[in-house]
Amino acid sequence: MAIKYTAKVIEHFKNPHNIGVIENADASATEGSPACGDEITVYLKIDKATDRIEDVKFQSYGCASNIATGSIITDLAKGKTIDEAEAITWKQAADELGGLPPVKMHCSVLAVDGLRSAIRKYKKEVKGIDYDSTLDVKTVTEELKHVLWPPVGVDIITLKMVKYIGIDQGAVRVEISVGSDDKFLDPTINEIVEHVSKIRGVKSVNVENV
Amino acid sequence: MIYLDNFRSTMVAPEVWEAMRIAAIDEYAVPAAFTQCGTGAAELIERAQNRFAGAIGASQNEIVFTGSGTEAINIALRGSMLAQAIDKPEIVTSEIEYPATLAVYRALEKEGYRAHYIKVDGEGKYDLDQLSSVLNEHTVMVSLMGVNHMIGTIEPLTDAGSIIAEASQRVGRRIPYHVDFASALQTQRLDVDAVKVDLVSFSSNKIHGPKGVGALYVRKGTKMRPITFGSETYSPLVPGTPNTMGIAGFDKAIELLYATFDKDVDHMRSLTNRLATGIREHIPHILLNGPDGSGRAASHLCYSFLFIEGEAIMMFLDMDKIVVDTGSACAAATLKPNYILMAIGRNHEQAHGSIRFTLSRYNTEADIDTALGKLVPIVERLRAQSTIRPPAQ
Repeated sequence: MAIKYTAKVIEHFKNPHNIGVIENADASATEGSPACGDEITVYLKIDKATDRIEDVKFQSYGCASNIATGSIITDLAKGKTIDEAEAITWKQAADELGGLPPVKMHCSVLAVDGLRSAIRKYKKEVKGIDYDSTLDVKTVTEELKHVLWPPVGVDIITLKMVKYIGIDQGAVRVEISVGSDDKFLDPTINEIVEHVSKIRGVKSVNVENV
Repeated sequence: MIYLDNFRSTMVAPEVWEAMRIAAIDEYAVPAAFTQCGTGAAELIERAQNRFAGAIGASQNEIVFTGSGTEAINIALRGSMLAQAIDKPEIVTSEIEYPATLAVYRALEKEGYRAHYIKVDGEGKYDLDQLSSVLNEHTVMVSLMGVNHMIGTIEPLTDAGSIIAEASQRVGRRIPYHVDFASALQTQRLDVDAVKVDLVSFSSNKIHGPKGVGALYVRKGTKMRPITFGSETYSPLVPGTPNTMGIAGFDKAIELLYATFDKDVDHMRSLTNRLATGIREHIPHILLNGPDGSGRAASHLCYSFLFIEGEAIMMFLDMDKIVVDTGSACAAATLKPNYILMAIGRNHEQAHGSIRFTLSRYNTEADIDTALGKLVPIVERLRAQSTIRPPAQ
């Protein structure tokens, strides 16, 4: 009932590590959107000889947990190679903070997405490794693993809430199964649209509650 | 602690607590006839009814005490609708009502009632033309509110009352009119005859009374059916043993409210003006939510601080022991932006950055200056950290 932040979340919120901008960053990426309530930008400075993250900074538009998760993922990434940093999971980030309330777990997903996007941008632009995959049911499924069901903080694929994914010439249809008056239905549909729209080749996203 | 969240709940006044303590010790009997202790408890309730009735132009028997403002709303809405047998019943309210009213309406919709949610303008004022246009021979309830809890708008209750009275004449029967006055009681006077209202809900904890007590005004002659059942101690609408201790506290809170009403309203108006002036002078890129000046409740301010998020502002203020509220989706259990801010035309981002300051008569100039002194650097700091920036000048 009482939703509280851990002391570590509060500490990182009050005094976030690595906050700010890196001028002449080797890569940067923004995830989320102000319309969805939170947005994070991650900047990376990378030693090109060793692929090690020399410096990392972030900016955040969002709540206390958004700021705290940005702080912790930049701490975790600093000094690691880009492959190591790319493997950091949102669960790891949340655990480092002593846990997050389930309804706030999506902040950790967003922070990790921001870091991964910046790393993949660097890999693509500097190393020529292209991560953009083709639009198919598998990529949509993978992306939907980043959408959490707020009451429990677990993704909607694991919870078997996604009943159907259909793709037709860039139009993606996702069918989910939730009570029609569930208070989390609308924000979850918004999240699904936001995530699936990021996939290359997607022209429209239609989410139906069946 | 500097408490600026009085529309959510208020501190129990020391005199109220003392009245409750005495009631708990001396008037613990169930109200009843003939015995000294039974009639003592009954007289306590009558005294409270009389005081309340006197304040709003009602008579003693038109006031019942309930377990909360929410319960009063439920009894008013459901109790009145159950008593009416109208074909294809329709119910009317606005899209910015208190959650209790909206929850009852949604439940009634599932039971087959057709609901109309009237729109509001950019300051949260009801569209009375729309109200007028939706009333017809099927209407069995109109429920509106005195002051909007999120944006402080003082609603045109009397104009709405006239429209409902005219429509009632047109259809040849009284269309019941309920007003939720819980958020208004602190700063607005009410005359039930001037407003032409049939049912009014109140809550004790908004005016320095205890939690767990509300009140309902039911105009004499209004058809009502009980929604809960039990022994009828003093009213069939609220069966069971009355909360005499809570009622004694509510009674004292009402006495205190009206003892210094005008002075307190002036005091709160001057403090909210001081806060608003400080915010406008020191913080750029803000939006006032709700009306400016006399159109809003004297104790209420709600600003959106653009480019940042409200839960973060609220948390920082909380660490400085300053208590406020926000309409940000991030602070809501549902992760949805506040529906009232959306109804007045704010976008998600503007709603996310909203902070509501609601004062009481106990706040001081020093409270406001301290809060302002903390708020300004918090906003500056969060803006410096934010991914979004004001557009270049």
